[in-house]
Amino acid sequence: MAGSQDIFDSIVMADERFHGEGYREGYEEGSSLGVMEGRQHGTLHGAKIGSEIGCYQGFAFAWKCLLHSCTTEKDSRKMKVLESLIGMIQKFPYDDPTYDKLHEDLDKIRGKFKQALFCLCRSLTRCHTETGLGTDERSGWFGGSPRGWDVVARSRLTVTSTS
Amino acid sequence: MKDSLVLLGRVPAHPDSRCWFLAWNPAGTLLASCGGDRRIRIWGTEGDSWICKSVLSEGHQRTVRKVAWSPCGNYLASASFDATTCIWKKNQDDFECVTTLEGHENEVKSVAWAPSGNLLATCSRDKSVWVWEVDEEDEYECVSVLNSHTQDVKHVVWHPSQELLASASYDDTVKLYREEEDDWVCCATLEGHESTVWSLAFDPSGQRLASCSDDRTVRIWRQYLPDNEQGVACSGSDPSWKCICTLSGFHSRTIYDIAWCQLTGALATACGDDAIRVFQEDPNSDPQQPTFSLTAHLHQAHSQDVNCVAWNPKEPGLLASCSDDGEVAFWKYQRPEGL
Repeated sequence: MAGSQDIFDSIVMADERFHGEGYREGYEEGSSLGVMEGRQHGTLHGAKIGSEIGCYQGFAFAWKCLLHSCTTEKDSRKMKVLESLIGMIQKFPYDDPTYDKLHEDLDKIRGKFKQALFCLCRSLTRCHTETGLGTDERSGWFGGSPRGWDVVARSRLTVTSTS
Repeated sequence: MKDSLVLLGRVPAHPDSRCWFLAWNPAGTLLASCGGDRRIRIWGTEGDSWICKSVLSEGHQRTVRKVAWSPCGNYLASASFDATTCIWKKNQDDFECVTTLEGHENEVKSVAWAPSGNLLATCSRDKSVWVWEVDEEDEYECVSVLNSHTQDVKHVVWHPSQELLASASYDDTVKLYREEEDDWVCCATLEGHESTVWSLAFDPSGQRLASCSDDRTVRIWRQYLPDNEQGVACSGSDPSWKCICTLSGFHSRTIYDIAWCQLTGALATACGDDAIRVFQEDPNSDPQQPTFSLTAHLHQAHSQDVNCVAWNPKEPGLLASCSDDGEVAFWKYQRPEGL
């Protein structure tokens, strides 16, 4: 009796068995492909954020050096803003993509950078794009307003005029 | 109800254009209007009529969206779609542009002075709110760039007595900000509106905030301090804000502006259905659950969308309004008997 049950089992359950095997194989392959794709996506995204923050950090360190010997009250206020920006960048958790306040902190860093830019480069001239006024890109200076880059470029040039 | 809001006069303030906003000076003697024609006009009375005393035309390259007087009345700030904010200094009947504040990436939607006169706030379609500080030499420093909203920020307003800032946005929320350890932070987010919040107004005491929205409702929010009697939960030392009243079913289109009279407590709204409405709190209503009644409803106050309503700060019942039709209208409001 046991013998006949096995023979029928392998025939009757064949469909389900193959379905299950196929599913498991597909799942494994999909998972490993997904991990590769995810890694690529993460690398790109992480690099973008890293590049943006790196730029702000370089900007802050450079201006900190330039203002090092200046002692007016206005300059000490500028220093304070730069130091605040550097502090925020140093506290940013680079190795934790699951940090729940990642975007909130990133927005705060961007805001502090804009404040620093305003304090340091009072006489920036705005360069309007031909199509009108900027774009709606969330990232602002990066991948958004071309005007933003013009402003940053100019600030690198006007090294001597800090007021 | 028909007689509670009476027309005193109309002026074609920004012909062939929209009139976007109005602001009375602190003394209540002058009204500044701004519009799509890139100009700001200053209106004053001469006998019974309103005449244009000055035209400020060289300040902006695009629409001027809002204007605001400093608490001392000597300065006027103007926010424009050209991404700049101009500060004008008053010298008798003349105004001179003394500073242009740049920094926003695109259209500046609103500007407001803090009651101390030392701080200014601006907001923009670039989703940020900027706080500026003025020093004795009329120099402006950027004190903070706040990126809390996720969409276009439409309006900013300061609390009448504290250094507390409120902003309204296309992201359907109202956010509040205060200074904490030398930096400005977002201390509260008011959620509840189902669409763009267009404008805000604090009540005379500053305990309540009114917001108006594209969802055709007005919401009244109340501040609850930590350890309040009503048992409203607060996180840490930050006050909590709760929606204590919603006025719905009164407006048939987007409500673009709201004004809370500092003298009488009357609440006026500017609506996309061309009407002006006035609400008053019912006497003896529970402060934690107030009820408001409609005491004036003027259909066709203008021939197009009403963009702004502004109560005169010194003369009770004097209301100014402006519209997409380019006109400014003056009204006398009288609370109807028995209401």
